[in-house]
Amino acid sequence: MEEIGRQSVPKRNLIWLTLTGCSGDIISLLDGADPDFKNLITKMTNLIYNNNLMAAEGEAAMEGLFGVAGKDYILAVEGAAATKDNGLYHVIGRWKGEPVTAYRAVRELGEKASHVIAVGTCASDGGVSAANPNPAACVGIQSLLNRKVIKLPGCPCHPDWFMGTLAHLLLFGAPELDDRNRPLMFYSTLIHDICPRRPFFDQGLFASRLGENACMFKLGCRGPVTRVDCPIRKWNERVNWSIGGGSPCIGCAMFGFPDQMEPFVSFNTTRQGWI
Amino acid sequence: MNDHEILFDMINENISQMDQIIDHIYTAQNSYNRNRLLNQLRKNIFAVTVLIRGLQKSTGADHPQSDGARIFTPAELAACNGKNGNPAYVAVNGIVYDVTNAAAWAGAVHFGLSAGRDVTGEFAVCHAGQQILNGLKAVGKMAG
Repeated sequence: MEEIGRQSVPKRNLIWLTLTGCSGDIISLLDGADPDFKNLITKMTNLIYNNNLMAAEGEAAMEGLFGVAGKDYILAVEGAAATKDNGLYHVIGRWKGEPVTAYRAVRELGEKASHVIAVGTCASDGGVSAANPNPAACVGIQSLLNRKVIKLPGCPCHPDWFMGTLAHLLLFGAPELDDRNRPLMFYSTLIHDICPRRPFFDQGLFASRLGENACMFKLGCRGPVTRVDCPIRKWNERVNWSIGGGSPCIGCAMFGFPDQMEPFVSFNTTRQGWI
Repeated sequence: MNDHEILFDMINENISQMDQIIDHIYTAQNSYNRNRLLNQLRKNIFAVTVLIRGLQKSTGADHPQSDGARIFTPAELAACNGKNGNPAYVAVNGIVYDVTNAAAWAGAVHFGLSAGRDVTGEFAVCHAGQQILNGLKAVGKMAG
């Protein structure tokens, strides 16, 4: 990061599209630290477009967005893209009299970007936006683009996962990815393998209710099928994480979230009686 | 002192603690104190279950091993769905496996699949070529 402070790595343009989702990923990013959002927009990138935070409105905002054509930019997308009825279920603005749908924005801006980062589970794999019955036919953005998309699933995406991936891009180029295009530096180890409660699992000591200090396997914890570094990195500047708070992992950083990770908590399981 | 005696002592200690806590609950001044005591009671109950489990292990009083040649009908397999205290079994390629304590089957559900079913098709699509079945305990075969 010193290279960025010394201005020897040029600031690059960043577009942040908030598409069909809950806008949780930008909120999460704003809560990041070391480096924080201020560092992102002053030292690391020129944030050209972000519908939650920018001052521009209406036509001027759309001009700013599509004005990147021909320039170098990194595209970060949070939220899935609604595709039903030509994407009319999600309109992000109007430009030259036409509605600009999320569907259109992804396809027009995605192909020419130097890198595309799907931030959050919805942008990566459809996520909550694409949950059954998915009336707006939401899809993860990779399925709308012919080029590679770096996926950072998480509900929301941890600010460090985005900042770390972006910093790697700025300094060294694209990070090493797994076969689902997730950066290995964040998404390699199963939560189960680095969980502080793993000794309880190995000894067969299972919690039967939330809040008990034992393994939450019998309550339906998805740690064994989720690859991400929550036990180490934790959330809100290392304060806590799901298991530390007494709640099982719901697999929010995996493809298949939420439908294939449900039920999130099970009380009616294999445990018979107390002993 | 052998393991049994140590465990028995700890169990008795917990039980007498629980007695004292119940005495205090009768005279609790307010709901904060009462809840605090009730929380402690829960912890004691959990501690006792852990100790009894330890007793079972040290006497070898584990659950009896299932007969590996058991034949399952689809209805019998469906009953082993991991709910209501039933074990969690799944069938792959005609063999029935016990996934009750398999890490990836927390809550008897794996990526949206419930236990108590034949998951041969889903297994072939997702895990072809992976050495997963070797790590599971086979408990029988499907009928037919």
